[in-house]
This record gives sequence, C-alpha cells and structure tokens, in this order.
Amino acid sequence: MDFLLSLWGYTSGRFDQVGQALIEHIAYVVSVVGLASVFAIVVAVATRHNVFARELSLAIASVFLTIPSLALFTIFIPLVGLGFAPSFIALFLYAILPILRNTVTGLDGVDPSVMEAAKGMGLTNSEILLRIQLPLAWPVILAGIRIAAMLTVGIAAIATLVAGGGLGDFIKSGLARLPLPNSLEAIWLGTILSLLLAFAIDMALKLVKNVTISRGIR
Amino acid sequence: MSNDVLIRLENVTKKYGDSDAAAVNNLTLDVHRGEVLVLVGPSGCGKSTTLRLINRLIEPTSGTLYLNGEDVTSMNPSLLRRKIGYVIQQVGLFPHRTIAENIATVPKLLGWDKDKIADRVDELLDLIGMDPETYRGRYPKELSGGQAQRVGVARALAADPDVLLMDEPFGAIDPITRDRLQNEFLRLQQDLKKTIVFVTHDIDEAIKMGNRIAILREQSEIAQLDTPEAILADPADEFVENFLGSGAILKSLTLMKIADTELHQVPVFKAPVMRDKAIETLQDSEDSTSILLDADDKPLRWLDLAALNRTSQPIEKSGRPISVDLQPEDTLQDALTAMLQSSVGLAAVTDRKGKYLGCCTIESLAKLLVEQGAGK
Amino acid sequence: MTTAAITLRRQRTPLAERLDLIVTPVFAGLLALLGFAVWLYSDIDATTSDILSYENISRQLVQTIQLGFASSLLVVIIAVPIGILVSRRGFPRLKTALVDFLGLAQALPAYGLIVIFFTFMGTGLTTVVYALALFSLLPVLRNTIVGLEQVDKSVIDAGRGMGYTRLQVLLNIELPLAVPVIMAGIRTAIVINIGMAALAFLVGGGGLGETINSGLKLNRGPAIFIGAVMVAILAMVFDFLSALAQKYLKPKGI
Repeated sequence: MDFLLSLWGYTSGRFDQVGQALIEHIAYVVSVVGLASVFAIVVAVATRHNVFARELSLAIASVFLTIPSLALFTIFIPLVGLGFAPSFIALFLYAILPILRNTVTGLDGVDPSVMEAAKGMGLTNSEILLRIQLPLAWPVILAGIRIAAMLTVGIAAIATLVAGGGLGDFIKSGLARLPLPNSLEAIWLGTILSLLLAFAIDMALKLVKNVTISRGIR
Repeated sequence: MSNDVLIRLENVTKKYGDSDAAAVNNLTLDVHRGEVLVLVGPSGCGKSTTLRLINRLIEPTSGTLYLNGEDVTSMNPSLLRRKIGYVIQQVGLFPHRTIAENIATVPKLLGWDKDKIADRVDELLDLIGMDPETYRGRYPKELSGGQAQRVGVARALAADPDVLLMDEPFGAIDPITRDRLQNEFLRLQQDLKKTIVFVTHDIDEAIKMGNRIAILREQSEIAQLDTPEAILADPADEFVENFLGSGAILKSLTLMKIADTELHQVPVFKAPVMRDKAIETLQDSEDSTSILLDADDKPLRWLDLAALNRTSQPIEKSGRPISVDLQPEDTLQDALTAMLQSSVGLAAVTDRKGKYLGCCTIESLAKLLVEQGAGK
Repeated sequence: MTTAAITLRRQRTPLAERLDLIVTPVFAGLLALLGFAVWLYSDIDATTSDILSYENISRQLVQTIQLGFASSLLVVIIAVPIGILVSRRGFPRLKTALVDFLGLAQALPAYGLIVIFFTFMGTGLTTVVYALALFSLLPVLRNTIVGLEQVDKSVIDAGRGMGYTRLQVLLNIELPLAVPVIMAGIRTAIVINIGMAALAFLVGGGGLGETINSGLKLNRGPAIFIGAVMVAILAMVFDFLSALAQKYLKPKGI
C-alpha cells in the first residue's frame, strides 16, 4: 500500500516525462506495426502464387525473431548510429513475421468454392484479390497485427539501451539508481505503463476488428 | 452456324501438361437456344471440364468456342464470364456480403445504376420464392443449404444472361429439398427460357431436367446425344445401356403419360346399387373388381365379388376406398405407384373435375412397354 | 477458433521444414563472416581486445548457455503440466481467458520483468533464471493448451470408445498428437531464453550481453558489433538444434 502511494507520488511529479516516454513508445508501435503490416501484406500477396518464394520469405522473417533483441538493436549501430534508427529497424524486422505468417495463412484459408464462384462470374484476378480474398482473410491478418503490436510494445522497452527513448527509460534509470529512493518506483512505472499501453492498443484493435469485419463472417 | 445454335464447341481439346491423354478430346458440341442440355457421365469422364471450357475457366488447348455465332476463344475471359451465369455445387456465396450484395455482383461489375440493381435484386428474390424484405440484408451463414443454392441461382441470373452453366448444382442437397428445387427450377425455366448446360452424374436427374442429354465417356467423348425418350427407348451401345442402369424401363415410365395409354373400363355402379344385379354384371365381365361412383361420377370404392356379397355391410362401406387421384396428364410412374398401392392392380383415372374416365391396368402398361421395346 | 490457434495451425509442409533447417545456418554463417570481417579489418585497440578477450567471451558464453538451459527446463516442467490441467474438462472458460491473456502478455517487457525480479531477489543467476522462466512460460503454456485443443475430437472419441481411460487417452493420443505444437512452443521458449539471457548482465548475471554493454559504455563499435553477432549466432545455433529436435520428436505418420 505504501508502495502504491509512493509510486503514485513518483508518477504525479513527472507527468511531462511520463508523457514524453509514452509518446515515444506509442510512436514506435504505430510506425513499426503500420510499416510492417504494409510490407508483410505486400510480400504475402506478391508471393501468393509461388510456393517457394512464399516459404522463403517466411523462413527469413522467422530467423529475425530468433535473434535476441539486444543483439538486433545493437547490430545496426555501426551503420545508423544510436537512438531511434537502430531501434526502429530492429522492431520492424521483428514485427514482420507474425503479420506475414497470418496473411499467408489467411489468404490460403479462403474457401476455394467462393473463389471459383467469383472467377466464374467474371471477376478479374485483382478484383478477386481485393474484393473477396483480402476481406475474407482480414480477421486472420488482424490477429497477426495484434500479435505484432504486443510484441513491439514489449520489446520497445529495450530501445532505452541504445538511447532510443520510450518507457524503458524509466526502467533503466531506476536500475541505475538502485537502491536510492524512487528507483523501485521508476522500474515498476516503466513496466506497468507498458502493460497498460498494451491493453489500450489491444482495445483499439478490437474496435478496429468490430468496425472492419463484416457481420457475415464474425 | 444457324441462329438456333447459341453455343458451339468446335474441335475442342484440353490436355494437361505434357501428357498425351486428353481430358477432353476433339469435342464438337452444339447447344441450341432455349434448351436444357444435360452433360452426364461417370466420374472423371470430363463433364465438369467440358462445362468449364464454355466459360473458359479452363482454357482449351486447341479448338474454337462460339457464343451466338461469335468466336469468343480469345476474348477477355472475365468479360466473357460476365455474360454467362455460373452455378456450382458448393454455391460459393461470398460470406462477407449480404444476400442482396451477392446477387448484385455482376450487375455492379457491368455498371448498372443503383436503382435498377435494387429492383432486379428484389425481382429475383421474388422469383426464387424468398421474401425480399426478409432476406435482402441477411448473410449467407444464416441460410439453409436449399436457400443458399436458390440464392446462387438468383445470383447467376442477375445480369439476365442468355446462358446458364450449372455444375451439379443440387448435388450437395438432401433428396427432398433437391426434388423441390428441381421442380422449381423446371418451372422457372418454363418462364425464362434460358439456354442451360447442366452437369450431373445422376442419370435420373438428367432425364428429369434435360431437353437433350449428352452421355459422356472418358475424355468427354459423346456416347449418345439425344432426347431422354430417344435414349431410353434406344440406347446407342453397351456403355449407354450400363449407364442407364437396370431401371431404364422404370425410368421411361416417368416420361410417358396416362393419356398415351388406352384406358380400361371396369363395371361401374352408382347408388342406389342393387346387389344381385351388380354381382351378376361383375361375374359376366372379365374383371374381378368394380368401382362405386358417387352422384358426381367420382370414384369412391373398389368393389370385388366378396365385397358385393357381404350383406352385413352397406355397399358404401364395403370393399376398399379409392384414395389416389390420377389424371391423364400424370405419368405412368404415378399410375404404377397407384396401382401397387391400391392392391387391386388397378388405378382409377379421372378428369380435372374428378369425373371418372377409366382405369389403368398393369396389362395396358406392359402392352405399351412391349410396343416401345418392339420399336427398338 | 482462437486467434492463437489460427496462427499455429499452419501446416508445416516439407518445404517449410527444409527451408527452416537451411535458412538459419545460412544466416548464421553470413553473420559469422561479417563478424570476422569486422574483427580483421577494423581498428581493434587495446580496450576492444580486452573486451573481446578469450577469458571474457568464454565465461560469458558458458553463463549464457547455462542460463538458457536452466530456464528452459524449468519452463517445460511448469508450463506443460499447467497447460494440460487447464485443458481438461471443467475449465473451458478459464482456458479461453488464459489464452487471450497470454496473447496480451506477450507485451510484457522482458527488460522490466528481469529488473523487477532483481529487486526482489537480488543479483545473480537465479534471479535471471526465474525471470526468464516466467517470461518464456507463456509460449509454452499457450502452445500446450492450443496443441491439445487442436487434436481431432473424433480420434479421442474413438480412443475412449475402445476403452481407454481418460489418463490413457491423454498419454497415448492427445499428448503425442499435440507434440508438434508443444515443441514449437518449447522452441520459441528456448530462443527467448537464450535471447533474454543476453540481458542478464543488467542484474549481474553475466552472459554475452556484457560484451555488448561494455562496447556501448566505452563506445567501441567493433565490440558492440561482434558481441551482437555472437549473441545472434548463439541464438541461431540453439534454434537450429531445437528445429532438429522438433523434426525428430514428431510422431511418425503426422
């Protein structure tokens, strides 16, 4: 109980900082997931007829996920320096796989007889892709985007280690100042805010889901 | 090409890959305007392939395709398909669109204006017996199998194509609903007079639905192409005979009407009946059963000698009731069923108003079949 | 079908499996080459070579591997039984809630978790092991639940109909058929553990992350890069070994 009070005390004295860190973190999530979604969907669509290309893209994307976050964040430093750039690149590479894999699965999973009927009625290939396949695959794609978003929120905390900002800053500063006063609060603050942010993003995505998915396929 | 021929496949061949064996081998087939042509044959004979060559979902390896006299072998396939209705077994309704949106698909592609489309959707829903108000905004997942297939047909008819291609459309549906859908479809076709190419593996369905039937062998070779009556009466070879199956004779009964036979006259009595006179008349005749008519000449009961002799009961309650109502337009199959049900080997035939006309007997049926057979 | 199940249900085609075993080593090889190139051609001053000394590196390597193994083992021992328990009848709503929550829980910052554990348990390897275990528990737990759920109900039915008790059905039918999915989860957990082990240095747990960190603090680019490369390669090696295990532990006939 005492701790909660002091946590609140710590936070309320630093709304500016909290706001700043939060905005940086959100910026990471939005930009990374946005770009990764576009990239992954384009790759999935482009490789939908070529099994080998598709499997290769998936295999490459999954290799990135095996690379530990600290390594992936720092490996680009010699190239792009510290700060936002290496963090963004690393997070982007991580986010690709879940979205790519789900888009591939989603496109694959569309009922073949629906596609046959569409083709038989005279829709062109691109019309079928845009009006039938992608809308029907969208729920699965969105599920992948959710995973990518959650992943990004969690890993973005590491950005602080390469001067990339974000909520990890609190954790780092808390760690550095242990066992001085307010250090524990800082660490918890960073952690809890990440969770809250994740929850908020999840809610937002649920909203998107309800708005964009046709009632016919819920 | 005469104006009568709407679709023509000329020397069409389809080979897959490098194999020499063709799925469709040098097929030439004409589909006449306004007819229902059924392609029927054993699994794997290529009937679905042949159908899909018509809307070029499968492209021919060689040969020409004519639609209404025009060579459409190399035109833009999507544009071609928008002129042809296509119905498949699993229907393939778009699950993420409402029924109205599904039906409106091709008209929208063709650029019809919104009001015209809305009217057309309602018109079609009425045509297939589904209330527009209720069903317009529903989704495919809310429909039963039979309803879904009806919507599939409506969707195919939306842009009012001249040609309809149907690939085993009623195959995935239970027999009762299938029968109903087939009847509805035949009724529809009477009004719309579309040109239809229909694929099925079920010979009974082919006989029921087709104006002409093409019985196909492997590689889509035509074993026989003719009207159902002609094929049943005179199968071209052993393959066709085997395909028709042993029920060919019974099947042909569905194609003949009671009006084609001679009705037999048994003794008839009308109330008040004088038992002794009746017994005498029946004994003098060649028949073993007589009929009791009511005041309007409607047949009421079968009366045999035993029934007439049973003085303990009034005549009106003797013998067996006549329950089935047959008319000259009914098929011989209906007559045979009635005969078997009546347990006297007879079926009473009346006119539209129920007035007694005569009886169908097993002998008259057999005679007719023998005559048919003799014509072989 | 939960969204988690959808992502996991993708069949592993033979092509996917083969590529899996090829792409990772190829990548690792490329990285190794890059690492070597940097080692040979960049400016290695005294500080850098000190950071990259044999004693340091080998010590950290051993620490990382120990950490990875210990936490992975712990995770399997805990998560799989819990997953099995939750999947039994009587817990369906708990199960769905759990799977959804686990999706959310991927957002837990491992970084934060490790530090929090540290504040409660002090420095050292044990802290990190527990923190890693908690973090990598999630994929194993989720995969166990989902893996058991996707077993064809009619096969289970047949088993019970033939007289198997519930326990026998679990051991002879459900678990073997769920193994591919569970193994995928364990593999993810192993990779996470090796990866997070790189962060162990934050709480005095050592590991290869130390090299990277020293490089960052002392601003030695080559050290950073080579450290990162080593961590990456180590992770890929473990991933590769897990992939092999996944392939050979799969019951024949699936």
